Amino acid sequence: MIRFKQVVLASLLSLAAAFTPTSHAAGTLSIAASAGDPGSWDPIDTFLVTWGGVGSQIYDGLTMRTADMKLVPGLATSWEMLDKDSRIRFKLRQNVKFHNGEPFNADAVKFTFDRLLGPEGAKGAQQSNYNAIKEVKVIDPFTVDFLLSRADPVLLTKLAGYGGMIVPPKYVTEKGEEFFNANPVGTGPFKFVDYKPKVSLTLARNADYWDGAPKLDGLVYRFITEPATQVAELQAGRLDIATTIPTSMLDVVAKDAKLKVESINGPVTLALRFNTKEGITKDVNVRKALVIAVDRATIVKQILGGNAEQVASFQGKLSFGFDPALKSLPFDPAGAKKLLQAAGVPAGAAVQIDFRGPDSNFREVAQAIAGYLQAVGIKANLKGYETSVLLNDIIPNGKTGEMWQNQWGGWTFDYDNTAYAMYHSGQRWNPYDKDAALDKLLDSQRDTYDQQARQKTLREIAQYVSDQALEMPLYSLNTIYGINKRVQNLTLPADGRFRFINESIQ
Amino acid sequence: MTGFLAKRLLQAVFVVFVVTLLVSWAVRMTGDPALMLIQGAGSVTEQDLINIRQGLGLNKPFVQQYFSFISALMHGDFGRSFLGGTSVTLLIGDALPATLALTFCSLFLSLLLSIPLGIQAAVHKGGWSDQLIRIVSLVGLSFPNFWLAIMLVLVFSIAIPIFPPSGMDGLSSLVLPAITMGIILTATNVRLVRTTMLETLSAQYITVARSKGLRERVVLYKHALRNCAIPLITFIGLQFGSLIGGIVVVEKVFNWPGLGTLAFDAISGRDYPVLQSTVTVLALLIVTVNLLTDILYGLVDPRVRIK
Amino acid sequence: MSEQVSAGVRRGISLELALGALLTGGLFALVVLSGSVFPDEGMGMDLAARLQKPFQSWMHMLGTDPLGRDVLARVAVGGRVSLTVGLVSVAGASALGILIGLIAGYYRGVWELILMRCADIQLALPFILIAITFISILGGGLFNIIFFMIISQWVQYARLVRGLVLTLREREFIVAARAIGVGDFLIIWRHLLPHLRGPIIVLMTLNIAHNILLESSLTFLGLGVDPATPSWGGMLADGRNYLQTAWWVSVFPGLAIMSCVLGLNLLGDWLRDKTDPTSQH
Repeated sequence: MIRFKQVVLASLLSLAAAFTPTSHAAGTLSIAASAGDPGSWDPIDTFLVTWGGVGSQIYDGLTMRTADMKLVPGLATSWEMLDKDSRIRFKLRQNVKFHNGEPFNADAVKFTFDRLLGPEGAKGAQQSNYNAIKEVKVIDPFTVDFLLSRADPVLLTKLAGYGGMIVPPKYVTEKGEEFFNANPVGTGPFKFVDYKPKVSLTLARNADYWDGAPKLDGLVYRFITEPATQVAELQAGRLDIATTIPTSMLDVVAKDAKLKVESINGPVTLALRFNTKEGITKDVNVRKALVIAVDRATIVKQILGGNAEQVASFQGKLSFGFDPALKSLPFDPAGAKKLLQAAGVPAGAAVQIDFRGPDSNFREVAQAIAGYLQAVGIKANLKGYETSVLLNDIIPNGKTGEMWQNQWGGWTFDYDNTAYAMYHSGQRWNPYDKDAALDKLLDSQRDTYDQQARQKTLREIAQYVSDQALEMPLYSLNTIYGINKRVQNLTLPADGRFRFINESIQ
Repeated sequence: MTGFLAKRLLQAVFVVFVVTLLVSWAVRMTGDPALMLIQGAGSVTEQDLINIRQGLGLNKPFVQQYFSFISALMHGDFGRSFLGGTSVTLLIGDALPATLALTFCSLFLSLLLSIPLGIQAAVHKGGWSDQLIRIVSLVGLSFPNFWLAIMLVLVFSIAIPIFPPSGMDGLSSLVLPAITMGIILTATNVRLVRTTMLETLSAQYITVARSKGLRERVVLYKHALRNCAIPLITFIGLQFGSLIGGIVVVEKVFNWPGLGTLAFDAISGRDYPVLQSTVTVLALLIVTVNLLTDILYGLVDPRVRIK
Repeated sequence: MSEQVSAGVRRGISLELALGALLTGGLFALVVLSGSVFPDEGMGMDLAARLQKPFQSWMHMLGTDPLGRDVLARVAVGGRVSLTVGLVSVAGASALGILIGLIAGYYRGVWELILMRCADIQLALPFILIAITFISILGGGLFNIIFFMIISQWVQYARLVRGLVLTLREREFIVAARAIGVGDFLIIWRHLLPHLRGPIIVLMTLNIAHNILLESSLTFLGLGVDPATPSWGGMLADGRNYLQTAWWVSVFPGLAIMSCVLGLNLLGDWLRDKTDPTSQH
């Protein structure tokens, strides 16, 4: 027995040596990456939201987006549309170096996009976003031409993110794909230091950054998916910025003297989408009844505590295509009962609401909706799914109940991106509808660069969707951050992609 | 003896084989990982999906995929994660020690508590301390482990900031997770120690030792306790499967980067290679412990060997 | 000294029985009567009355939850899920397990082999991982949880029964009965089963407790029952974020789980003492 104890003690001591507490330099900011570890830091590999936040620290794109979502020059200083919009000429920034000393030039751009559009990119998730690009031509060391196979009005915005970020040719070719995944090199304000899979990613300041060196010494991204854990870490002072705070925990953070809460209007929109093929939701009048039975305004006010804004269509205020004149259907339970009766729906009829199990905010919202529906004689069952199962199997394969949680990141802030994916026939987010009139509207606004015409069409689309009650629009959710007050000069982006240039630690 | 050993070994291999087969099959039923990777993409065509699947080796028949997994396994290569191509061997190499550390610490803690408490209860059988210990141990068993974890974090991490609420970052981060598992383990082990001690204490040789005038402490710890060791160890061995089950949940609450969290993330991410390998490693772990337990039991109790 | 001990033993046993019966009986009663005492079934939502403190009014003795629903009502009604899961899963697992265990123990041969291999496999795959893997395909819900518990747990009963049958079948009275020519079924039914009752009931009681805990874990992990239906595990998951601001939302369902499980464990313990003559109690 005693010998056993000795053995255990010895192994414990050696394990203890294995987990040395990470000590950070004083000026290091730690931030939570709530969507988890994307597994690879290569821009062409993933779509996870986490990657976007981190990617902006290590890499740059030809264009960039400011905190208030305006598009500005990045590694390209200017661009012009040529040849009836089938060619974009970019003038590139000079005197920029990658973290390993390689120079940034037209060859790097060509290498990046050849790689993205080629066989390597085909293995990853990003390629499909950029396939309007036919070819990249080097004109001179600081000029490139993008030849397009078709119009893509959102391309310039897409160049600011994810797959379009510029990678160093020599480094990638020499070190190979696998090494690059775990040891990224880019032109961004922070360079790679250390990566502990599923635990953390550590970055250090790039003193030679072309846009001015950041004030922070370093950054640590911690992969914490549980919101309650993020809050606990925040309170314990081991995390400086928490990126997912359930509305229910806002008071806790606000009460803590060293912390503060920032809630900014974000692009994430939520709605309950209806199954228009099966169940009582086949009937447009039933759908309208279900919508007006729910007091959406009160839900937003009481449960989300003003951290969300009610929406009338599946987009937020900042989205291109947003129509301030479009009003939500009113809250009218009596009217709902009448509609249901007229449609021949018996009292106690059942509907099923599918939602993302791990989403604690929506859990409450869904329960509230069920409560309202019960008041008009509809019995709502809630079915929680693993997020990935819901998004990749249940919805696209049309296995949902009568309603499901429809949530969209809307990171391009453009209703086109959303509407097309949601309402066009054949799209994976639209497993039930085939509406030729709606398809026509959606297609028409894709092929033109005329922003005015596009906006008009997008507004028509929103109105159509509302009239057909294809969904119960709920709210656009603020992006809520919990911040340790020791962080100074923090600029908070609505899309979760921080640029840590001006921030410093007290 | 060697016949017994060989037989048990064969059984163990068979079990691992069946387990990996079951898990590989089940995991592929959870859906298409290609769909996972394009989550949120704008407009993805069927061809894109086909390309991604090809890149991941998913269009080969199941049997072929399974056998390439097993043969790679024999060479110590666990394959590549679907999420980013990280070497799974690396991921497991990081996660396994973390889980083992937590397991051993919890067990160690539980032994530290359950042995003295169990002895106390046995020696004072029927007295108030015995009753108290028995009821408190039942209470410990009745705690939902994740709730206990959350409460501990509330008290010892937020209210009184001593220990970190999550992550593996220095020795102090081990404390709360180990205590959570430890409390529940102690509850089960106390009763076993008590029962075994009671049986031992009434045995002849103890009476002999006492009559020889040996101090009670010596009698208890040197003689009686030694007898407890075997049943205790075999019990722990048999319980190892459910111990791992409990650890998965605790790991999740504490964001402890062990095999449990790895498996759980892999399931929701449809990361087949990681999931297959993690469950295989966990099964191997459990089977090994069971095997060792059985061997130990066989060494001690010859009747088992003959069957 | 021995008188003190036996008096203490008697006191100990009855304390367990008393506490166990009280807790279990009390909670069972609360749950069974929940329909009549709380006609709105804990679903009465009132967004204006969110998160009211407990012990303030008779209407909401244990306070209200984030949607303004009465916590006491939800605890009472929530017990239905936990108790259903606990009772049905154990009933199913034990029925299946006893059957297979009897066959394996009595007839031995290939049945025994299959059983032992199943037992080995079941030991190697912790229920949580099976549940997570399969429930993420098929979704959660009452039926699936119970189904997987039955699949995962029948082995325990089978092993227990097989082991007991093995020891019993060589006993004189069985050998004698067989020699006389009494049919197998009758032997099993009239001679073997009565001896198995004790240990089986103990295992069942303890497993009901364990399964109630498992169900709450599953619901916590998001794999359990429908969140619109009140359940103890669901309430704990919902209340997790409110631990620091509205402790009553999760503390009371947590106490309910604990009391129920504790009560069952106490009863199981007492039963074990009573039915196992060789135990040192």
